[in-house]
Amino acid sequence: MKRSQKIRKYLVYALYLLLFSALQVTFTGVLSIYGIRPDLVFVLVVLCSYMFGFYDGVIFGALAGIIRDYFSAPSVTGIDGSVTTALGIGLFLMVAAAAFGSSFFTVRIERNFILAFVSVVIATLLYKGIGHFIIFLWFKVVTGMTYNLSLNQILLKSILPQVLLNLIAAIPLFLMLKFIGPYKNGVNPVLIDEKRRGDNTWLTM
Amino acid sequence: MRRLLTNKRFITVVSLLIILAVIILGSIPGSPLNVVLKPIGAVVDPVQKAVKFTGNEISGFWAALTDGIAIRNENEQLRAEIAELQYQLTQNEEAAIRYEELQEAFHIREVFSNYDIFGASVLSRESDEWFSVIRAGVGNSDGIYLEQGESLAVVDVRMNLVGRVIEVNDDDSVILILLHEGFQVSGKVNAVNGATFLIIGDASLKQDGLCLVTGIDPDTIPSVGDEIVTSGEGGLFPQGIPIGVIESVDTSNELNITATLRPYADVENLNDIFIMVPYEDESEASDSEEVTDETFSEDT
Repeated sequence: MKRSQKIRKYLVYALYLLLFSALQVTFTGVLSIYGIRPDLVFVLVVLCSYMFGFYDGVIFGALAGIIRDYFSAPSVTGIDGSVTTALGIGLFLMVAAAAFGSSFFTVRIERNFILAFVSVVIATLLYKGIGHFIIFLWFKVVTGMTYNLSLNQILLKSILPQVLLNLIAAIPLFLMLKFIGPYKNGVNPVLIDEKRRGDNTWLTM
Repeated sequence: MRRLLTNKRFITVVSLLIILAVIILGSIPGSPLNVVLKPIGAVVDPVQKAVKFTGNEISGFWAALTDGIAIRNENEQLRAEIAELQYQLTQNEEAAIRYEELQEAFHIREVFSNYDIFGASVLSRESDEWFSVIRAGVGNSDGIYLEQGESLAVVDVRMNLVGRVIEVNDDDSVILILLHEGFQVSGKVNAVNGATFLIIGDASLKQDGLCLVTGIDPDTIPSVGDEIVTSGEGGLFPQGIPIGVIESVDTSNELNITATLRPYADVENLNDIFIMVPYEDESEASDSEEVTDETFSEDT
């Protein structure tokens, strides 16, 4: 890859990272259903890793996760009932999302826009599903408090609105990544080399 | 070895394990990890402020365009109203002077006289339903400090309860809003000898913008529409901060009567908040209260 292409890549990634992280925590009332809003950064991380591969996704995801922890770390109720912010959960989430996105049907099937959206849907389902399960366990086992969301509420007021909103957000974000950057023609040349060498066959689904 | 280090599965597993260790390390009180995030703020904060400013400017410009005609008509009406209000203002000024005289005479203690109020704008909002704290632009550098186990009440521009401060950094504070599952406050019906109970954030009600009211005595069940204020019990919050109104009451289980409360504070659209910091310790405060009471009884 030429030096100019590398510089363009870094600049575009930095712009996306700062802009979308800031947007996520600034105009929260826009596009909100049941208090749920599209997770632009999460969608961007999944799409980046799906479209541009593991290293791009994980590095972008890690930086996005750190910024998320800085802006709005999740608050966790401790054993003694006190509430504190838990740093690192955003980082964990985004790195895991990137690892998932980069391994989602990326070898046996050519990367394409339909699977890009499917990867966003499944990543969101996993995130929300596992998230609710962990919170349920945390409340039940560690704090002894009750997590009184019924399965119906979890599905209808949390998971489905989040999937729907993330899917809607994925459309412009996919087009942006494909046509504006970080790579010319929306293809990471490194991935083509990896495929030739056979390195791109990990965690194949 | 080189192959192992470039193996993506290995990198993923090791990275996630390291991050887990970071999460555990970060949960220890006084962890140095907070300091690590400081330089990030130097980069991302200006960008976020620029995004916020741009968004506000765009929405302001749009509002100016769409509202232009309406404003012109409204302007005519307002001119007429101003004349009327100026007359009322003169009367109110006289009433205010009279009130101050009475207040001084009867030593009416102002509700929040023992608190310094720090105003701040909301820097960043929650990212999603779990990444849910908000940050306000006031911190240690402004004179706000938070000891472990303490908390500071946060109110909106109308002095309605918004939440509490759970962390104070150099230049910002982290606020837990009252809809969050981890939030709880003792409240009471805003009446003489009003019944007290516990108001807590609830996962299932949060999305509807409601809080849960528990600990209700069967003999003093609040009614729909009752105004609830902080009771002052527990010592974390001063007494008398408006919280909200009772929206529904569930008496189906006599052993566990609950109600839902709709907070006054519009947490979805918060721009400015105020943090209440007690400027005297409790013993001094109670001393001063006793002095006030004594003075009051002597005078009367």
